[in-house]
Amino acid sequence: ASVSGFLSLLSFTILFLAWLAGFSSRLFAVIRFESIIHEFDPWFNYRSTHHLSTNGFYEFLNWFDERAWYPLGRIVGGTVYPGLMVTAGLIHYILNLLHVTVHIRDVCVFLAPVFSGLTAVSTFLLTRELWNQGAGLLAACFIAIVPGYISRSVAGSFDNEGIAIFALQFTYYLWVKSVKTGSVFWTIGCCLSYFYMVSAWGGYVFIINLIPLHVFVLLLMQRFSRRLYIAYSTFYIVGLVLSMQIPFVGFQPIRTSEHMAAAGVFALLQAYAFLQYLKDRLTRQEFQTLFFLGVSLAAGVVFLTLTKPSLPPLLRYAKIHIPIIASVSEHQPTTWVSFFFDLHILVCTFPAGLWFCIKNINDERVFVALYAISAVYFAGVMVRLMLTLTPVVCMLSAIAFSSVFEHYLGDDMKRENPIKQHPFYPVKNSSVYSKLIVTMLMLMLLMMFAVHCTWVTSNAYSSPSVVLASYNHDGSRNILDDFREAYYWLRQNTDEHARVMSWWDYGYQIAGMANRTTLVDNNTWNNSHIALVGKAMSSNESAAYEIMKSLDVDYVLIIFGGVIGYSGDDINKFLWMVRIAEGEHPKDIRESDYFTPQGEFRVDKAGSPTLLNCLMYKMSYYRFGEMQLDFRTPPGFDRTRNAEIGNKDIRLKHLEEAFTSEHWLVRIYRVKKQENRQALDHKLRNIAAKQKYTSKKVLPSRFH
Amino acid sequence: MISLILLKLFTFSDSGLVNEDVKRTLDLSSHLAKITAEIQLANHGASRVNGFTLALEAELAPHLFFNLSQVKGEEEEDESLELKETTVHGQSGKFFEAQLPSSLAPGAKLRVKVETVFSHVLKPFPTHITQAERQLVVFQGNHYLYSPYPTRSQTTRVRLASKTVESYTKLGNPTKSDETVEYGPFKDVPPFSQDAMKIHYENNTPFLSISSITRTVEVSHWGNIAVEETIDLRHTGAYLKGPFSRYDYQRQSDSGISSVKSFKTILPASAQDVYYRDEIGNISTSHLQVLDDSVEVEIRPRFPLFGGWKTHYIVGYNLPSYEYLYNLGDQYALKLRLVDHVYDDQVIDQLTVKLILPEGARNIHMDTPYPITRSQDELHYTYLDTFGRPVLVATKNNLVEQHIQDVVVHYTFNKILMLQEPLLVVGAFYILFFTVIIYVRLDFSITKDPAAEVRMKVASITEQVLTLVNKRLGLYRHMDEVVNRYKQTRDTGALNSGRKTLEAEHRTLSNDISALQARLKSEGSDLAEKVGEIQKLDNQLKDLVCRSCQEAERLVAGKVKKDTYIDSDKTLSGKRQELVSRIDSLLDAL
Repeated sequence: ASVSGFLSLLSFTILFLAWLAGFSSRLFAVIRFESIIHEFDPWFNYRSTHHLSTNGFYEFLNWFDERAWYPLGRIVGGTVYPGLMVTAGLIHYILNLLHVTVHIRDVCVFLAPVFSGLTAVSTFLLTRELWNQGAGLLAACFIAIVPGYISRSVAGSFDNEGIAIFALQFTYYLWVKSVKTGSVFWTIGCCLSYFYMVSAWGGYVFIINLIPLHVFVLLLMQRFSRRLYIAYSTFYIVGLVLSMQIPFVGFQPIRTSEHMAAAGVFALLQAYAFLQYLKDRLTRQEFQTLFFLGVSLAAGVVFLTLTKPSLPPLLRYAKIHIPIIASVSEHQPTTWVSFFFDLHILVCTFPAGLWFCIKNINDERVFVALYAISAVYFAGVMVRLMLTLTPVVCMLSAIAFSSVFEHYLGDDMKRENPIKQHPFYPVKNSSVYSKLIVTMLMLMLLMMFAVHCTWVTSNAYSSPSVVLASYNHDGSRNILDDFREAYYWLRQNTDEHARVMSWWDYGYQIAGMANRTTLVDNNTWNNSHIALVGKAMSSNESAAYEIMKSLDVDYVLIIFGGVIGYSGDDINKFLWMVRIAEGEHPKDIRESDYFTPQGEFRVDKAGSPTLLNCLMYKMSYYRFGEMQLDFRTPPGFDRTRNAEIGNKDIRLKHLEEAFTSEHWLVRIYRVKKQENRQALDHKLRNIAAKQKYTSKKVLPSRFH
Repeated sequence: MISLILLKLFTFSDSGLVNEDVKRTLDLSSHLAKITAEIQLANHGASRVNGFTLALEAELAPHLFFNLSQVKGEEEEDESLELKETTVHGQSGKFFEAQLPSSLAPGAKLRVKVETVFSHVLKPFPTHITQAERQLVVFQGNHYLYSPYPTRSQTTRVRLASKTVESYTKLGNPTKSDETVEYGPFKDVPPFSQDAMKIHYENNTPFLSISSITRTVEVSHWGNIAVEETIDLRHTGAYLKGPFSRYDYQRQSDSGISSVKSFKTILPASAQDVYYRDEIGNISTSHLQVLDDSVEVEIRPRFPLFGGWKTHYIVGYNLPSYEYLYNLGDQYALKLRLVDHVYDDQVIDQLTVKLILPEGARNIHMDTPYPITRSQDELHYTYLDTFGRPVLVATKNNLVEQHIQDVVVHYTFNKILMLQEPLLVVGAFYILFFTVIIYVRLDFSITKDPAAEVRMKVASITEQVLTLVNKRLGLYRHMDEVVNRYKQTRDTGALNSGRKTLEAEHRTLSNDISALQARLKSEGSDLAEKVGEIQKLDNQLKDLVCRSCQEAERLVAGKVKKDTYIDSDKTLSGKRQELVSRIDSLLDAL
């Protein structure tokens, strides 16, 4: 009893330390900068969480946001996965109930690091079910610090994925548990966890396809059991009903094709179970096998046809022909480098773990094998889906490492030392050395893994991107706070209902930080509206003015990195604006107009005249031609594109500069109101008299 | 009409007071109008006078921010007088009644200094300027001292912010030199006389004003006072017309000359953990300088403030409580500034002070240096609070720098209450651990799981078997040592006793193991067979040990040669090793 107590204490300590390590390695950004929401989408999540915590849950569900997508507005309650906001709001509510007065912002900032600990625990549970306790602990340690997951869960990155990976792992754990036990209790738990996942992230489709796939493959492998039947039947029905409770999901689970595989497998399972029942009564063995083969083949065909046209919507992102999706960097295919960058040694060891699993196959290891294969495929399609691959890689690598350690460390630990040392029972020396070498090597690898994780986290994934920092020669740090400077200027010094036009990337930030109405934002649901903004940006000033007038635009906000050499600015994104605008307005905007005859995109004198006179160019470089940044370069030298701009004499007719931040990173222009109509010269009213009227009173006098 | 005024005059000045000599100074160099009047009062009446009246023009009265009157004693000992607002029948304006510390005898003279500060009386004109233009303001006031008493002689001196003056009224040929305009002396001015003075001049000083400030002070008896000020700031000068050009602002030094880039806030010397932030996070453009007698924060708003622009920020810091909190037994007194410095020549339109006292503070009494409006007390809940901390809320409008004065709050607090919060934490942890203990120790399942119980029983039995078998193997090793010693010492007695103990202990251990094996069998575990196998192997092992023992005896007795002994010993040990490894593999499988 004391040994098991000691073991559970050890496991608890390791899990606790993994949680702690995972939490603290996500705090780089908070320590270097401050407790602030990062990037773009988190600003919307923060804003809606704030709305939820101030106005209550029902008000949040009914929220119509008139500050976004002007003049259309957005029904936020029905177009959002509310899990994240509800989680943060609930934590905030409970803490405040206990008089722990933390600000909702701090709850949001630290939510993802806290949930990474929960992810570690659920990964531990899942791996323990698949292999053993030791592998589980290793997996928990891996997932706590692996960069592939940290990239989405650093403090301040308040995004759906932060909690969804926990929900994903926990759902899988409960699924494996329910397949193992065949108990309705575990299956209901699985359904509830699935419900949470549905409420948190669109990636739930991964679950609702992977679990049926698991069931299907088990059927093919003749591994049908009553446990499987109970688990899947319960899961499908209850999970379906629960998932339809989320307003944003609604009737999709029974309508759209990506959910049909689950329904098909459900039907198949019922049929298979029925056949199993019949099998006891039928005698003709050959007929049965034939029948089984026929049914499974048909089912396979059905499964494939259902899935094929609708490879999960995660994949649909990848349809490259939609420029608005292709324009997002995280939707690009993954490079080989980023696999190593995000997973380091794990990417090499996880096939070994997979091999171990397949070699000692059982029901749940079939599951993890399918999980691994499908996740590898998705991660190859899109950088962003590296996130779904990371947990399974951690689990399988942990299995690989654990088996190696068991083999090379296990014996020595079990036997007491005196046996070995005794001259009568000499242990082969060579084996000791090989054990030592292998163990050392493995430990070295793990150590390098830990170092790499910390380095990547610190250097690549811990920048808030709202605040920039540059370092001087002496190591001191300059903070470039231009984004907040300009957003706060908008918040304080413009009319409360002013409408700000900007490219959609900055929509959520403007709404969150400047609290002003935007035309388009990161929820890119209306392509034609975005195209209209793109058209305004890429037209000349007077054409753009017509569009802006029709959209009631008061201010235009652009990002310009030419002064400090910031590469993510609007000129560099400009071709996407042109492409998206061209998609909707092919008559007015043509991408080829913005290139030189040689097919280059240049901002200097050789650039195409259309580019040099479009609104975006004019706003970016307004008065930049006078500016000399240093003595080696001519005035108007753009540091981002390393070119002297081609149009230095920019005059604006319908716009005026309203604000430019300190390093020119953000420039805001005011759209002038239409001038009063030109006054006509004053003339006395002159009526040409056609008839002479005479007073009737006089008339009779004539007849006097 | 004139006679009417004179009549009034006489009715009023029946006290017989006369302003003998008045020196007025109008300081218009900042965005405030600071008017100082040094008055020599003489009692020309017949009776002693206990007080006098101060008057303010109706146009200026709404902008009055501060009014202070001091008696200048002979020994240069200044003394402030209490002012009470009164009204004077038939006259517009605002009036204050000042009580003299000692009454003024007929014919006696007294020097009085009246300080008044007005804000928002310097009107920008033109009201809208571009970024390149300079800011011009107009001051409209009175050439004379507005007083209910006749004035014998008076001079007025106006200090301006710059040499550039567009125009000024020219009553009595004033002299202008550099930044000052001097009027007068005016002789024999009747009471309540007014004559419009108008000065239009350039004034580029920052026209900052605080439209509202909320100062929250949270007192903790654990040694800390947290102060937080939420400030709404506005540039009240001429509005910016047209575009704001960053290029001009960066390249030309006189571009936007009237805008505010930064200012200094002086905090108490012991201020720590200063933060400066707003709704969207930390404002990174600030600097902190710790001086000997204060902490200076260079507050730079996120963007320069031009005319009409506003901003909003929060400044907070911690103070050690021993400097501000005094106690005598259960009686506590908190003494700190009601409002603190934000910037030089500050103007506060609206102030709200919230004093959060520790939970359980009673008999609260607040002593303010000047009248202030108290609102309903509130309750504030923060970390580990159960019934809330009392919050004193007070508001006041129109404050300037001269209002930076201490407030004293007296209250009683039972020191036992300090233990409440730690005990709360201890209690919470106690309950947590207790529930964990209860949960782990007790079985809450509705149904019994016999399989699990059997598994647990079997596990404990196999564990015992393991230890026993290992112990038995240890016996053999011990025996080997005995044999080795015997080979050296040839002590048969020791060998025999060693063999005896081995036999005895081996028997007990083997019996124990067979008992456990029987129990395993009764639990229906297949491990029983393995244990049986181990027993079988062990028997062989023991035989081998005995044989090696006999061999050693024979060697010592000289019955075998040394070579043959070594050979046989080798084969024996080889067999033993094989047996041991088989037992080990069986043990591993358990």
